[in-house]
Amino acid sequence: MENLVYIALFAPLVGSIFAAFYGMSPKNIITGIVTSALLFVSFVASAILLNHVMTVGPIHVRMMDWIMAGDMLIPFGFIVDQVSVTMMTMVTLISTIIHIYSNGYMEHDKGFNRFFSYLSLFVFSMLILVMSDNFLGLFIGWEGVGVCSWLLIGFWYHKPDVTRDINPSISPSWAANEAFIMNRIADLGMLVGIFLIYWNLGTLQYDEVFASVGPLENDLVFWIGITLFIGAMGKSAQFPLHTWLADAMEGPTPVSALIHAATMVTAGVYLVIRANPIYDLIPDVGYLIAVVGTFVAIFAASMALVNRDLKRIIAYSTLSQLGYMFAAAGLGAYWVALFHLVAHAFFKSLLFLGAGNVMHAMNDQLDIFKMGGLKKVMRWTYLYMGVASLTLAGIWPLAGFFSKDTILEVAFNEHTYGIWFILWITAGLTAFYSFRQVFLTFHGTQRYDDADAHPHEVQKYVLIALIPLATLAVIFGGFMDTFKTFTTTLLPAYEMSEHTHHIAWMLIAVTSAIAISGIIFAYLRYGKGLKRNEKLENSLPYRVLSNQYYIPILYDKVFSKPYASLSKFSWQVVDQRIVDATVDGIGGIIKSTGDNTRRMQTGNLSDYLKWMAAGALLLVAIAFLAFKLTQGAN
Amino acid sequence: MENILSILVFFPLVAGLLGFLVDKNSIRVYGIAVASIEFILSLWLWMLFDTSNAGFQFVEMIPLVPDFGISYYVAVDGISLFIIIMATLMTLIGIIALNIEKNIKNLIITLLFLEVAMIGVFVSLDAIIFYLFWEFSLVPMLYIIGAWGGERRIYAAVKFFLYTFAGSLIMLIGMLYVAYVYHSVSGAWSFAITDWYALVLPFEVEKYLFWAFFIGFAIKVPMFPFHTWLPYAHGQAPTVGSVILAAVLLKMGTYGFVRFSLPMFPDASVAYIMPVAILALIMIIYTAMVAYAQEDMKQVIAYSSVSHMGVIIIGTFAMNAEGITGSIFLMLSHGIVSGALFLLVGSIYDRRHTKLMSEFGGLASVMPKYALIYGIMLMASVGLPLTIGFVGEYLSLVGFFKVSPTLTVLAGTSIILGAVYMLTLYKRTFFGPVTNDANKKLMDLDGKELTALVPLVAIVIWLGIYPKPVLVPIDNSVKALTSFMHEKAHTPKAKATILVSKTTREVK
Repeated sequence: MENLVYIALFAPLVGSIFAAFYGMSPKNIITGIVTSALLFVSFVASAILLNHVMTVGPIHVRMMDWIMAGDMLIPFGFIVDQVSVTMMTMVTLISTIIHIYSNGYMEHDKGFNRFFSYLSLFVFSMLILVMSDNFLGLFIGWEGVGVCSWLLIGFWYHKPDVTRDINPSISPSWAANEAFIMNRIADLGMLVGIFLIYWNLGTLQYDEVFASVGPLENDLVFWIGITLFIGAMGKSAQFPLHTWLADAMEGPTPVSALIHAATMVTAGVYLVIRANPIYDLIPDVGYLIAVVGTFVAIFAASMALVNRDLKRIIAYSTLSQLGYMFAAAGLGAYWVALFHLVAHAFFKSLLFLGAGNVMHAMNDQLDIFKMGGLKKVMRWTYLYMGVASLTLAGIWPLAGFFSKDTILEVAFNEHTYGIWFILWITAGLTAFYSFRQVFLTFHGTQRYDDADAHPHEVQKYVLIALIPLATLAVIFGGFMDTFKTFTTTLLPAYEMSEHTHHIAWMLIAVTSAIAISGIIFAYLRYGKGLKRNEKLENSLPYRVLSNQYYIPILYDKVFSKPYASLSKFSWQVVDQRIVDATVDGIGGIIKSTGDNTRRMQTGNLSDYLKWMAAGALLLVAIAFLAFKLTQGAN
Repeated sequence: MENILSILVFFPLVAGLLGFLVDKNSIRVYGIAVASIEFILSLWLWMLFDTSNAGFQFVEMIPLVPDFGISYYVAVDGISLFIIIMATLMTLIGIIALNIEKNIKNLIITLLFLEVAMIGVFVSLDAIIFYLFWEFSLVPMLYIIGAWGGERRIYAAVKFFLYTFAGSLIMLIGMLYVAYVYHSVSGAWSFAITDWYALVLPFEVEKYLFWAFFIGFAIKVPMFPFHTWLPYAHGQAPTVGSVILAAVLLKMGTYGFVRFSLPMFPDASVAYIMPVAILALIMIIYTAMVAYAQEDMKQVIAYSSVSHMGVIIIGTFAMNAEGITGSIFLMLSHGIVSGALFLLVGSIYDRRHTKLMSEFGGLASVMPKYALIYGIMLMASVGLPLTIGFVGEYLSLVGFFKVSPTLTVLAGTSIILGAVYMLTLYKRTFFGPVTNDANKKLMDLDGKELTALVPLVAIVIWLGIYPKPVLVPIDNSVKALTSFMHEKAHTPKAKATILVSKTTREVK
């Protein structure tokens, strides 16, 4: 079994290195095939491990030592337990499909080989993240996915920077840097959490930390919880570190699916779930997490309402769904959060890959106002995106219904009615913007020029590859009870109260009602095509939403620009005119002193005698003074 | 091989002198051969080194001026061993990558003499010998900058020389005073550092001596506000000069803190953690900002060096094995990474004769190999886990966290600000469309450049994944150092701050 752990973990790395050897040569289909095959191997290994964990129990392996100094010893160790094996199976399954999909999607791209190298490296980093048995190992994966996302978001690095009016993300390379730097801000928080754990518990191994965290002072646990959550906020793009996520849409679409659905953004949720013994001790922080999550849920959904960019809409919906996950995890329902995480991964990657099909068909057009009527030519993609949107909206009996509804029940059960209410409203918004997007893309009449695009369905094998995702998006909800039994052997079993049980059907009814209303409303507005409302589009709330609450511009004005000018000031004024000028000034004084005293050297003997007499007198005076002073002291 | 250290020190000297007899056309091969032998000798030293022994090894002691206790006294421990190997490696790499035709013979001989001085500094255990090598190292560098530098080379060379020289004089006074105190306590003269270690000084004396040594080391590091010679030196020095300067010469300062300040003045070192740490913080944050404002690629790397040296100082003054081991490892990793980055800047300068970022853009598509290696070094520079840069930075910060969480959080901004200026540099140089016609036909890295760079890439990844063979010997010596400091310290604050680690480890 140990070998399987290593196969699951390292197969993607082998694929990445293999593809890297072809990185600078022209497209070679072998890189796509080999990396996809190795990903599949990794998936099979994960699935076998899943079965093993279910029937036998967790596996813990220790590969070798990594860092040691003082009393610190950090190994490369990997734990395959209920939580990590769930993540592994989900990540490798989705990644395999995305790899196969990319063979078609990147067919004509010059960087084909390079792309697969990055993609597999990303999966490897993610596996390190979920499989590590200690916080620093997690941090390797944490930073690793950060770098890979930098590489992948900036994949089309050759594009120039443009203004925000033309492209709100400015350019792929700009978006890549933004993502990396924002994540680094959060990573500092995470590092501080790691430092706190190390100096107070003397170890970073999960099992040892969780076993000994209990007796720690509450204040300390509080800070550990907060700092780790700051780390989670960056990776999971929670407010106020959320702007990179929508800009990350600059990457090729399979990347968006990989980053947004299955992997990187869920890392933060994974961390909170993994650290549940810590968060259980500090319900206040948990509540804070739930509040942040709830806020992000509605905040992101509101931006999705008016956006015209197909991928950005899906990105905001990801953000919003992450909010749901944090709400559940913050309220202590860890397994519910994990369940929504997995279900979301299935339908969201399906949605993204469907969006990729549309983009390809439309020659990289992303503006849904310029689409319409695509269902005639893209039946399968329409079906896939329709199903994914239905499950995202939480319609019975699809997977999203079960996972989202349980989160709402948890909020109700915890008597946090405010959270429940906002998440309930958000469910309606979600249904609306999802179907606004579906209707504008696929229904109504054609709004694009025939000269611009000849939409066509994608390759058959790509469509077939998506079947597992579509199936899981539909049926995964049926596995909820199995999932609960399985994960709660490790995670705390969250039980609803009697009361909640009794009114559960009512909650389901109101939630479904608002979701269906959202869809109906979307149909009424957009079902027959686009009817533009200039007045609405020019109103202030609409503009605020479509400009992302002006937050990117605010960040630019408050952070980026002042930092740049302060940096310039530090260099040109402080460093050059003050610090260095002082140094040169001292040098100048010494030089001029030398220059001036040089005049004593006249070569005239009587001048020298005079100086000698003066010097002798001075010495006597000093000696006298010193004598007096020492006498005074005695 | 009892004399291996003497061979290491004097082989380049002899080879350098013989170099005058070598024909101009074969001097490059000669230089590479000598530097390779020297590097292999240093690796051999590592083989012979007993990693479980934390103390000084390969001790050689020949009295020179017995009346004053001055002797030729050399040895290595885990702390100096790897810095020596890095010095021989970077000299070799620097000579391989040499791209200068003018007076190449003099340049190579100068580099060999510089190597003598560098290794001399790191093996000396006699203060006078140490001081001689320390000052002697200035001369070859003065010559390298002054003779092969850019337009303002004379100004830069003189500034470099006078500034560091002035600092060293204050340190020399400190050394003489320690010897004087030693004489008045024991009745005998000695300049042996190991003798000085045993000297327990009253805090009042320690205090002044600490600052005297501090000035000498701080200018060399260079610490804020003594850093302004560095951008000029780097700006004017030829590539090989910058590589050696950043990789090895700066480390003399931080090494000095570990070798002299900590064990000799443990109480003062602890008492002045705060002022030193605040200077280090200014180095980290302020110089990172200055780096961000630069137009010239080489200046970004130069200022980033200062910023990273700040983290090294923080780690050194953590007063626990985690931090000090981390700071020594960071000296090595910074040496490798900044050396490589200066080589990379040199490569593009050789092609375009400019280092201004605005002249470039889109290089990733023209020079993919160059972009790849640059990218790896960039990631090592910003401290990505599994590269060499993470280990030292992480340990230094973790160590200092014990002293002051707040200051550590501020120092930790290094990981953000470092990413800001390095990624901006990378974006401006490598990303975007190729707009400048002069860049459209640039040659990618050639065989010579790859020979110099690929080994560094390999080290960056190897020691990022498996730093154990290097960390354990360093850590063993550092633990001996901290327990010695703890033993020796007499103020309660120092006793409480200096942590003794009980764990012992072996390289298997």
